[in-house]
Amino acid sequence: MNDKWKEAFGEIHAEEELKESTRRFLAQKTGNYRKYHGWDYKRLVPVVASMVIFLAGLGGYRVYFKPVSVISIDVNPSLELGVNRFDRVVSVEGFNEDGRKLADSVNVKYAEYTDALEQILSNESVREILGQDEVVTIDVVGEDERECGRILSNIEHCTSGHRNTYCGSSNLEEVEAAHEIGLSYGKYRAYLELRELDPDVVPEDIQGMTMREIRDLIQRLSGNASEEIPEDGSPGMHGGGCRGGHHGGGHH
Amino acid sequence: MRSEGEVNRAIERHADTVRRLCMIHLKNYADAEDIFQTVFLKYVLSSISFESQEHERAWMIRVTVNACKDLLKSFYRSRTVSLEELVDWPAEASADHREVLEAVLSLPKKYRVVVYLHYYEGYTAPEIGRILRKNTNTVYTLLNRSRQMLKKKLEGLNDE
Repeated sequence: MNDKWKEAFGEIHAEEELKESTRRFLAQKTGNYRKYHGWDYKRLVPVVASMVIFLAGLGGYRVYFKPVSVISIDVNPSLELGVNRFDRVVSVEGFNEDGRKLADSVNVKYAEYTDALEQILSNESVREILGQDEVVTIDVVGEDERECGRILSNIEHCTSGHRNTYCGSSNLEEVEAAHEIGLSYGKYRAYLELRELDPDVVPEDIQGMTMREIRDLIQRLSGNASEEIPEDGSPGMHGGGCRGGHHGGGHH
Repeated sequence: MRSEGEVNRAIERHADTVRRLCMIHLKNYADAEDIFQTVFLKYVLSSISFESQEHERAWMIRVTVNACKDLLKSFYRSRTVSLEELVDWPAEASADHREVLEAVLSLPKKYRVVVYLHYYEGYTAPEIGRILRKNTNTVYTLLNRSRQMLKKKLEGLNDE
């Protein structure tokens, strides 16, 4: 009996006309299988979620690796540390041969800038240079005055134990041409000061000079040749910049 | 949305099953056409990922049975089709099988689909229960009763 039923039902088939009219109906309803593509939200969910995660990751990456301030450290080695909004060093760049050597010899990337600074000032070659009565200038450069002021204050605190160290801050606008002429921000500030006293001075003149030599030259040209940089007083750095247009921080 | 190729393959695979279920539930070709359109449009727009062809077949059966029930519930249809049209359905079957099909189609509606799924599609009572969302014991009862009814009908036919 089972076989008989199977055979009986097996004789019933969908008519070709029925299948064809169904195909035509579906093609019309779906606009030839295109109409509903844009509205299938469920299929878009993983795509959108992946994009959000990717963009958030990209945004986070860009925020983390974007320096908001630059700390220019100049002795004769000239070095710049890019600092992100989380107070971490995200770039280290040497601006002359000695600066590049120093950049290679320290491991300060991703360190907090105060630790990075401490490590650089404690570096053997820097200590050796400073021992020869050279001076180190530390210039904080950025667009946000308050941020520059905060960093400068922390730097002054952490460099208080080092001799011949001069700290200051500058607004980015004032020194933005520095890199175009191959100088660090700190050295460029000194160059601007020097040019006011001697319009013939060119960047190449000071590129190989130590900060001590530059400061001595500035003092000679300003008529204070006999005036030594006081070891416990103001370094005589001035100009606009962060901290309400005041440049020049502490000298230790 | 599924692709045209995917849909054409599904039509080839399941059209006969859908047609047989239409025959069991409905009374004319126009209704079957409606069911085909409803079922396969649902298939086109469905985002279900079928684990196997068996899974897809069970889905087709459930959707077809539901679509047939919905159609039969419609006020207009339930009052405009004559009972005589029902016997036109197995016209395509040979004389030998016609009496078997007519016997099945003469059963009350709730028995027909169970008989078809069990004796033709080969589903067990628990499987039919899962497909039709019915209790397994209910399916066993329906099968037993339909077997008794069919026996009587077919014996009666053979006696004639």
